[in-house]
Amino acid sequence: MSVWAELPFAKNLRDRRFQALAAALLLAALAIVVPPLPLTRSGVSVLAVVDITGSMNVRDYASGGRPASRLDTVKAALRHLLPELPCGSRLALALFTERRPFLLFAPVEVCADFAPLDGAIAALDWRMAWEGDSRISSGLHRAVAMAGELDTDLLFITDGQETPPLPANGIPPFEGRAGAVRGLIVGAGGYSLSPIPKFNDRGRETGFYAETDVQQENRFGPPPADAESREGYNPRNAPFGGAAARGEEHLSSVREPHLKALAAQTGLAYAHLDGPDLRAPLLAAATPRPVPGRLDPRPFLGAAALALVLAVFLAGALRARFTLFTPSRMS
Amino acid sequence: MAALLPPLGLATPWLLWLLPLALLPLLLSVTRRSAVSSVAAAPEDPLSSGLRIALTAAGMLAIGGLVLALAGPYRAGERVTRTGIGAQISMLIDRSGSMNETFAGRQPSGAEESKAAASRRILRDFVGERAHDQFAVTAFSTAPMLVVPMTDRHDAVRAAVAAIDRPGLDYTNVARGLGMALSQFGAGTPGVSRALLLVSDGAAVIDPRIQAQLRAEFTKVQPNLYWLFLRTKGSPSITDKPAGEDTPQAAPERHLDLFFRSLGVPYRAFEAEGADAVANAVRQIEALERDPIPYTEERPRRDLTGWAYALAALGLLLLVLAKLAETDFVRTSARASSKRPADPAPANGQAAAVSKRAAA
Repeated sequence: MSVWAELPFAKNLRDRRFQALAAALLLAALAIVVPPLPLTRSGVSVLAVVDITGSMNVRDYASGGRPASRLDTVKAALRHLLPELPCGSRLALALFTERRPFLLFAPVEVCADFAPLDGAIAALDWRMAWEGDSRISSGLHRAVAMAGELDTDLLFITDGQETPPLPANGIPPFEGRAGAVRGLIVGAGGYSLSPIPKFNDRGRETGFYAETDVQQENRFGPPPADAESREGYNPRNAPFGGAAARGEEHLSSVREPHLKALAAQTGLAYAHLDGPDLRAPLLAAATPRPVPGRLDPRPFLGAAALALVLAVFLAGALRARFTLFTPSRMS
Repeated sequence: MAALLPPLGLATPWLLWLLPLALLPLLLSVTRRSAVSSVAAAPEDPLSSGLRIALTAAGMLAIGGLVLALAGPYRAGERVTRTGIGAQISMLIDRSGSMNETFAGRQPSGAEESKAAASRRILRDFVGERAHDQFAVTAFSTAPMLVVPMTDRHDAVRAAVAAIDRPGLDYTNVARGLGMALSQFGAGTPGVSRALLLVSDGAAVIDPRIQAQLRAEFTKVQPNLYWLFLRTKGSPSITDKPAGEDTPQAAPERHLDLFFRSLGVPYRAFEAEGADAVANAVRQIEALERDPIPYTEERPRRDLTGWAYALAALGLLLLVLAKLAETDFVRTSARASSKRPADPAPANGQAAAVSKRAAA
């Protein structure tokens, strides 16, 4: 038909708006066929060690307007953290009580195995503890070694309350190399002292620990430097003084100076647990590990196509505005 | 009604706030403008108005389709229940210190394998051999520890089994471990084969009070009970009667076996004195647990973004064709229209609408 021959194709092809629409069509068509692009993202591989000793039952957090125990808050924070880790990240879980961590399972991928991981974290309970001591320093040192064996970073969550209290000569020496394992110590608990709940042998709560229920001073090892000035001091018969130790070991708060000293000793970072966000401090402290990811390029193509189409429509309006009274184009 | 419709969703629903942009083609056109003294001068032309409507619709389709595509539409995934062959297996694993010794009762040296390492190797192969088995793992020493709740994610179960040859804890307190392992079965569906697999190298006295509780639990859950007893060489067998008094304290293994026999659930004990015997026992258990089990299969969500892009591309294609066939309102067309006065202008509403004016 001669009608087609008369169309000003050359002019139409030069038209910017035609070109923009054609580009948008090309982008949309590309979006239909283009596959996701493989790329490498950074994930983490973490051994989470959760303190389940008695002091973690202290209710000095609040959840939904009700008091919540430290352990419950830690569990909530871990369950909150889990879906926020990039897929391909791996998490291993261990308990801490007595003087060592107990590995529940080796690192597991956080997305594919989300349900069992979430269930395992939800099931953490202080009743899993096999002994009542809480020697945080030894536990942390062994946890660092365990993370090294598993080739993961360490997330050690504790309130820092040593039971029995540390001896006068302070933190035991760390045998590993500081900084060889990276990671984070998370201090759980409030800054003011709170009573520690007491449970009977059937697991029922029966009140709180009193001052005389717990060991207030560690009297193993050499006595402290000030022992000589104590009441009733005798170098052989009463090297720690004559009176029973008094103190606040039956009350608990997060022992931040102690945890920071441990962090400095082992080359880990320290963060206090405020609310459920563990992700930012963990990602800052952990080694980024490459995990396979996929990038969907379609939103970029689609957004560009949309911008082009909108520009084409709006350009028409703008041009009409400016050329409203200049009919010279016709002639 | 809702059940009939497939559940649809959007990945980023807030992007739909851009959808009003799709009304833009109602106000604006992609075609070039021509100044006309009066549109009323042109007569009504059904073809022209049809083209105008088509082009407006194409513009709306293009913008709307792109916005929809950006929002990421999908059809939600489904969970389908099917029936396969398998069982719910609750593994109760002894993590007491003696598990780290060899079957000869020594610390492993050289190529020797500890009891924990042997059971780790064999159980690891056992997990995942059949696709529809479900596993729960409970560890126990002084206190029971829930490691992995009942799940069909075999990777997680294998990761839990991988941890069993780490240094163990203090004692063997089997009673509370049994209670926790039983609680892993949950309410569940009737007719599912349930198995409780106890892997231990020793036994302990079960408190008579707890015995009654356990008995009630076993009656309720009705699992098949397997005891894989990793016997250290020279230590008493399940069946050995002690020389002196026959009390639970003197022969805890024998009395645990007697307790299990008295439960009224299907029970088998396997005494293994080496890695081969353990592997053999696990094979037998596998052969015994062959019952249909319902399992859920996740049908992944289906991405509909491609279809939205196809809609947008269709609209864009129409617009591009219209732009390509656009003709201007030129003076020289007086010659053309005098030749074919009735010829409607090609694929462009505006051009068609004003074609009559050329003759004027």
